[in-house]
Parts: sequence; C-alpha cells; structure tokens
Amino acid sequence: MTPTAFVERAEGALADAQLQIALSRATGTLGSRRASAFESLENADAVRDAARAARMNAIANLSGLLERFESKLIANGAHVHWAETAEQANHIVVGIARRTGATRAVKSKSMVSEETHLNEALEQAGVTPIETDLGEYIVQLRHDRPSHIIAPIIHLTRQQVGRVMEERLNVPYTDDTKTLAATARAKLREEFLRADLGISGANFGVADTGSICLVTNEGNGRMVTTMPRVHVVLMGIEKLVASMADLDACLKVLARSGTGQKITVYTTMVRAPRRPGDTDGPEELHVVLLDNGRSRILAGDTAEILGCIRCGACLNVCPVYRNIGGHAYGDTYPGPVGAVVTPGLRGLGPWRELPHASSLCGACRDVCPVRLDIPRMLLALRAAAAADDPQPKSLAWGMKAFGWIASRPALYRAMARVGRLALRARARDGWIGALPGLAGGWTKARDFPAPAARTFQDQWRARGKGRAS
Amino acid sequence: MSVRTAILDRVRHAQRTGRIPGAAALSGPPTRGPERPAPPALIERFVGELAALGVESFVESSPDDVHARVKAIVGARSVLAWDARQLPYDVDRVLVGAARGSSPRDVQAAAQIGVTGCDAAIAETGSLVLLSGEGKPRTASLLPPAHLAIVRQTDLCDSMSEFFRERAADIAAAACCTVITGPSRTADIELTLTLGVHGPGEVIVIVGP
Repeated sequence: MTPTAFVERAEGALADAQLQIALSRATGTLGSRRASAFESLENADAVRDAARAARMNAIANLSGLLERFESKLIANGAHVHWAETAEQANHIVVGIARRTGATRAVKSKSMVSEETHLNEALEQAGVTPIETDLGEYIVQLRHDRPSHIIAPIIHLTRQQVGRVMEERLNVPYTDDTKTLAATARAKLREEFLRADLGISGANFGVADTGSICLVTNEGNGRMVTTMPRVHVVLMGIEKLVASMADLDACLKVLARSGTGQKITVYTTMVRAPRRPGDTDGPEELHVVLLDNGRSRILAGDTAEILGCIRCGACLNVCPVYRNIGGHAYGDTYPGPVGAVVTPGLRGLGPWRELPHASSLCGACRDVCPVRLDIPRMLLALRAAAAADDPQPKSLAWGMKAFGWIASRPALYRAMARVGRLALRARARDGWIGALPGLAGGWTKARDFPAPAARTFQDQWRARGKGRAS
Repeated sequence: MSVRTAILDRVRHAQRTGRIPGAAALSGPPTRGPERPAPPALIERFVGELAALGVESFVESSPDDVHARVKAIVGARSVLAWDARQLPYDVDRVLVGAARGSSPRDVQAAAQIGVTGCDAAIAETGSLVLLSGEGKPRTASLLPPAHLAIVRQTDLCDSMSEFFRERAADIAAAACCTVITGPSRTADIELTLTLGVHGPGEVIVIVGP
C-alpha cells in the first residue's frame, strides 16, 4: 500500500454514506456498552492494572514463558510447531491437513490466519476452509474483508447480508436477522459435523498449564475444538500469560472492553487432545507459534503493543477509525492498534502513513483495558519514519531560519508583528481560506485561524501595568 | 539452527532491548473480591446473574423435586445426556432413552435437549463450568438447541478467580475446561442480538439441595 493508497481509501470511506451511518451507529453502541460495563465494575482501576501487569510481565519474560508453554503442551500430548513467517505457518497447517487427509476445515475467528492469508493457502492445497463466526462467514461468502476486530461486518447492512446469502446459499431473500442467523446455523452445522480439521486462533495461551484459551459468543469456538478429529491452533508468540490467575485478570477486562459483557458466553480452555474415555474432542492437537515480525516489535520502541488483547475498544473511540472504518487501514489490524501493529509486523516502508492516521487525542489510551500508551508509540513510529525519510530542503532551511530568528527576541517580535498583520489582512470572519507557498499545505485541507488582534505578550504587559498602578 | 532456536534467541535478545514498561512495578495489590457470602446469598447472586443473561432457573430443595423439575422441563424432547454416574441426584432415572456420548454422532446431533451436571458454577457471572472427561460428553452442552444443567449447591463458587485457584488440579486433569455464560448469541448483523447461533439458544439451570 502506498501512502496515496491510504489517503484514497480514507477518502473513499468518507464519501460512502452508508458506511458513515454504519460506523457511527456501531462504534457508538459498542463504546457505550463498554463504558457501562466498566462503570458497574468494582475496583475497575485495580482490575485493569492487574490485566496490564499480566500482559507486560508476559512480554518481559516471553522467551521463558514460550519454553514453559511448549514443554507443558508436549507433556499434555499436543504437538508444537514454530514458524518464522506467514508462509512457514501456512505450510505447517497445510502439511497437517495433507497428512490427516482433511479436505474441509472449519475455522473459528482467527486474526492471525487473516494475517498469514491461510485460507488462500488451504484452497491452493485442495482444502476448503469454512469460516464459522457468523460475521466472518458472511465476509467469506462476499469475498470481503473484516472491518472491525470483534464485529467483522459492521460495514454491512442486514439487506446486504440477505442478498449475499440469497445469491451464494440459494435461500429466499430476507432481511430478518434471526432468519439470516438461523440459515447460517443450519449450513454451518453440516460443516461442523463433517469437517476433519478444526482451525482456531487463541485469545491467550497459559504457560503454566499449556492451556489455549478461546472466547466466543456463538459457540463456534467450542464446535471447532470439539467436533473435528484434528485441531490446529495458529497463534502469535506474544499471546501468552504466565498463569491461570493472569488469564483471569485478562478475561475480566476482555469481554467488558469488547462487547460490554462481563464475560463472553463461551470461554474454552483446551490443553490436550481427548483423553482415554473421552467421547469427543480432537484426537490430535497442534499448536503453531508464529513470529512474523513480533520479535522485531519486541526489540524496539513499540514492544508495549504486543500486550494488546484485541478487544477492539480503541477502534470504537478513535475519531479517525469512526470516520474511515477498518478497510482504509489496508491490512489485518485496523484502528489505533493497527496503526502501530501493521508497521511493526510489515515494516514501516509502505505503511509509514498509518501512524499519522491519528489526532493523538489519547482516547485509545484512556479506554485500553491494559493501558497501552498508543499515542506514545504512534509518535515513536512517526519519528522513525521521519528519521529515515529525507526531509525537503525547504523544511530544513525553514527550521534553521526559524531557530535563528526565535533566538533573537527583538527580531522575533518584529517578525511576528509583520506576520500577524499580514495574516489578519487575509482573514475573513476570523479564518484564512488560502495561504501562499509552503503554508498552502495547511489550507488545502482546512482553514487557518487568524491571529488575535493583540499578542499574548502585549496583553500581559498591559495587565502588568494595570496592576502596578 | 532450527526455527525454534532462532525465534527464541531473537525473543531473548529483544526482551533486553525493547521498551517494555516496568511490569513488576505495575502489579498492584492482589485484587481480592468481597468476603465469600454465605450459601443463600451465593445462590441468590447466581440466580440473579442467570436471570440477567436470560437463563431460566429453578432452586429445588430435594432430589425428588429435582427429578420432577427435570421431567417437566424435558417433556417429550429427545435427550443427549451425560452418563448416569456423572449426573447428580441420580437424575438419570427420569431420562428415558437418552443418547450418550457413545451414541453415533447423528443421533447426538438430533437430540432436542442436552442434560448435564457441572463441575462448578460461578455466582459472580452466572457461569457453568464443565470439565471434559469420561461420561461427560462436550456435545451435550453444545449440539442440542437447549441445555439443561443441574447444579449442586456445593458446586457454587464465588468467582472465576476462586475456581481457578481452588480447582487447579481438576482443571489440569481434563483435556478441556468450558465456561458457559448464558445462551449462544451473536450481534454480528447490525449489532442486533440473536440467540442460538451454534450453541444452545436456550439454557435452563436447576439448583438442587
């Protein structure tokens, strides 16, 4: 994605009237549900501190936790695989599918599998992947992309959902959400009963016990981990917490932040393939641990972002996300968190514009359940982008000239007076619509406020005189 | 060098150079919940949370009352149940012709109501905790459109924290620990609530003596 592409996408989203309505409704609703969920929580601050501590401790001790997690899983009878890149991860999953003779794979929502484009890799290998989260299922039917971390199709109306189901599933058109959900239930039930392979992400991995924790409201996470013969978990290496107590701390804030629920309907903690005597559950459990840029993030200024628990709360409050939606961010992870994660995972290169998709208002930091300082990280990325991006000569000279003038008070005051008068001459009703030269960059997108009639220094001096007399 | 070693080496190195906020300093005092309420308060809280989730519940004072309630709820529906010895209060006596975990998949999938016990019930959130194990098919709380769970008063815990702390050994012995909080739901289409997407759309709880 080039910088122009980001601006173009954003402009396209801003011009899409239906998207604007959908975004404002969805983010408003989710945001207020989150707010009331935290209002009703006793010790909300202490609970958030505990969740933050759980995640930051995990990041600070990640190598040790990964080794513990792996050894527990192996002791529990699971298989552990390591992948450097998206391609390696997909190769491992395809290999498991081939070896077990799987032809259909049911998937519960996994952002990491979007990141690696696992579905395409499976299709190329002759394995049909079926998304089973209702929203993701519709995304798949439409060959669309999810636009929100926890509500993948907030960009669609129920009429659009009705039409795609009519077209792709051969059912009569309806815009009744209950009927649409019932259709999906029936279709996907067949898939759950016949699939050989279940693929999921992980909300958390618990190092002490080797547990994979998955949360879903629909129950597809349970289906995927219960019905097929083989279950593959694809997860980023940063998803660990040390202990069940730390998991508890994170679960307390995850659903509250995401949907405003105290806890998700289904919290599934899988730690082993089926045991002797069990009549269901997978016979084989595989865990694929993916790096794909995470260790590079961990090494730098934005390591903190690895503590993200993917609740989506920062999207709902972000004035930029609320206007441009998820697709404009161009990759798997949208919103403020995406503006930090995407350049981190993929490299700044073509993603250097994303850290600028923020007004730095700090709303994301305020709602973040683990208190990630997203504005600080956005600034760090902007600085990094500026450092390896040669600035125009005019800017360098301009800053030098400004520095020279600003360190000579008399000159500075004289220049400021000239500038003020010139600007005020151009103003109409207190605003300037167009400026010449370099300054035109500002007025291309918004008006420039006219300077006040009297400077602060003038007023201060006048005030001082008044007092003295 | 294996991929595993390469990743772990890089992570180990990155932990030293990365800007990670001091986590240890952040861990505040352990969040202690309120003192454990007496059982009646615990039941009241549990039942209240269930109601808020849209779960119908019945508190019964004797095994006979539990049996009668199970019979009334199940009615003529076909049943997929845990094995007799895993169900509390000998409830199996009133389940006629129930499918089990050992029944063929299609028979299990056709059942109209699942009947299970539970390994714990969490008052704070109205949650049911089910550990997988012999005679306790996961399908019984998952495949049928309705799920009836029978809870003993001794199963009640104050909070998830308490359950994780006090039942660590049981959790570690099971392949899967499932926490169920209300009926299956989605709000993916226009944020409109719909119940019963993949799991049961109806959850009913009987709290026995």
